[in-house]
Amino acid sequence: MHNMFEGKNGTPNVIVQGITGAHGSFQTKAMLAAGTNIIAGTTPGKAGQTVEGVPVYDAIKDIQAEHTVDISVIFVPARFAKGAILEAIQANVALIICITEGIPVHDMLAVNERLKTSGSVLLGPNSPGALLPGVAKLGIIPAAMSLPGSTAIVSRSGTLTYETMAGLSEKGIGQKYVIGIGGDMIHGMGYKECLDLFENDTDVDTIVLIGEIGGQDEIEAAAYMQTHITKPVFAYVAGHHAPAGVQLGHAGAILGSDQESAGNKTNALKEAGATTAGSITELIELIAHTR
Amino acid sequence: MKLLEYEAKILLAKSNIAIPSGTVVTDPSLLNVPVVLKSQVPIGGRGKTGGIIIVDNKADVASTVEKLLRLDIKGFTPRTILAEDKLSIKRELYISLLIDRQSAAIQLIAHKNGGVEVEENTDFKTWNANEQPAGVLGQELADYYELPEQTFALQDLVENLKACFVQNDATLIEINPLIITADNELIAGDCKMTLDDAAAFRHEWHFEEKPAEANFVTIDPNGTTATIANGAGLAMATVDAAFDAGLAPANFLDIGGGANEETLLRAFHRIVEYENLQAIIINIFAGITRADEVARAIVSAKAKITDLPPLFIRLAGTNYEAASDILTKEGIIIMPNLSACLEAAQKVVKKVAHA
Repeated sequence: MHNMFEGKNGTPNVIVQGITGAHGSFQTKAMLAAGTNIIAGTTPGKAGQTVEGVPVYDAIKDIQAEHTVDISVIFVPARFAKGAILEAIQANVALIICITEGIPVHDMLAVNERLKTSGSVLLGPNSPGALLPGVAKLGIIPAAMSLPGSTAIVSRSGTLTYETMAGLSEKGIGQKYVIGIGGDMIHGMGYKECLDLFENDTDVDTIVLIGEIGGQDEIEAAAYMQTHITKPVFAYVAGHHAPAGVQLGHAGAILGSDQESAGNKTNALKEAGATTAGSITELIELIAHTR
Repeated sequence: MKLLEYEAKILLAKSNIAIPSGTVVTDPSLLNVPVVLKSQVPIGGRGKTGGIIIVDNKADVASTVEKLLRLDIKGFTPRTILAEDKLSIKRELYISLLIDRQSAAIQLIAHKNGGVEVEENTDFKTWNANEQPAGVLGQELADYYELPEQTFALQDLVENLKACFVQNDATLIEINPLIITADNELIAGDCKMTLDDAAAFRHEWHFEEKPAEANFVTIDPNGTTATIANGAGLAMATVDAAFDAGLAPANFLDIGGGANEETLLRAFHRIVEYENLQAIIINIFAGITRADEVARAIVSAKAKITDLPPLFIRLAGTNYEAASDILTKEGIIIMPNLSACLEAAQKVVKKVAHA
């Protein structure tokens, strides 16, 4: 299977949409420092400028006149993000990573419809992106707390992804992938796609799945694990002490029914063969014990 | 944003969905009887808690309005009373539209028996409203409700409801009950509507302000330990870990991405209200947030709020070095991880408990 994080030639050509904005330019610097091959960026009307030495174009098609583009990381403000994602889909960018938070859900419904008939894969929105320690930082996951290695982390929550990664690194346990799928109601890549990626990558020996209350994603991931995943999975679902019916933080995390509780999801993952923990600290300990 | 009933009904009416004729009460003496007076609070279960009163005598209208304005319903008192004509009800149905996470589509949900007990049911009928046109959905609704004579009306209703949902960037529209009157008219008896705050930029919304703060939730008002974190997942994990460590977390708080001095100060002011508060755990892992800004906010909060209990701070990620400099200068310690914070907090909380 083709690994979209590796691009067509092993080193993906990465672009940044919204590169001249506050977050775009700040994070471009950090991504370059982490070794990411950023070949260009876009901001409409800013063609000809540079950000951290990276040339800025008006549109993706202008970049594609000169280069191939494998991955786009989007920092465009929420009200323009739908247009930015649609532009990347139109340009056939294989992997689109949208960091932007607060995109209207109806905009994402429209994006989702368009994605169904495209060859692009979307990660996010409201996602911290993906980090391949020592290889590439595609988003905002702080690279300083990572360590190259053979575990792979997938999580719905941004900061909890960092927490898990940092905890593993502290114990000397490195990561091949650190991926945040984002907490929004309508999003691209989910647990299933990430589990497949990890299962098919021979560099990965251990999978770490971080979930939270609300929705059915972890239940579906558990069902998928049973039939498709052979590698060991360690899991933690946040929100064991969350009050019912209250929205916690972002749109995804509402404990609607017992089925959506941390306890029920933890049980489903356990029954599917995962080793489960009641807290991040315990999760890290459990993984450390097997190594 | 959750709308109040009268606000939701204004949007329904704009989309040509029938609502009872009524008015927001400004002068009770202008109301005709019989009248249904409805407390406008942002919470369900009004009927069962005395928030809806039918008044038959004109002499009682003003006093009933006064009474409703003072009536506390699950922690909310209304600013507005809605007065509606009394309907002659033949049947009550349930219909709603929401965004379904799993199918990434708009979902139509119906039940034959609407009204206050609808949540007791488990046999709701659902349709993917993106896949089928309103005409088909209306036809199927008529079959399901066993109301063939209402087919055209239901087709219209679905068409208008979908338009209302999309045009207003709604994430939920629930009409319960959907009333069939003695004259066989379909009327939205009550409505709950939630609009997507993220879409506010493209609307001119003028609605009553409601207590939002979804990011701050009290778990135990007698708790000893307050928690502050960024990101819902990390905030939940922090609460989970505090429980596991034998501390009694008082609250859940996600200060979100891009936390600044103002958000943090507001959080501290709320937290110090907890009576048994003995420790505050701050767990920030900066990605898009910058740790130095959080550090400055902590220093400022310590200067402005005098009776703060001990802070146990874990700060990591973007601009950590600058943050560390700022806090170290003020003699504030950053713990290496959450476990260290919890261990240190355990000692303080225990000490106070034994003293």
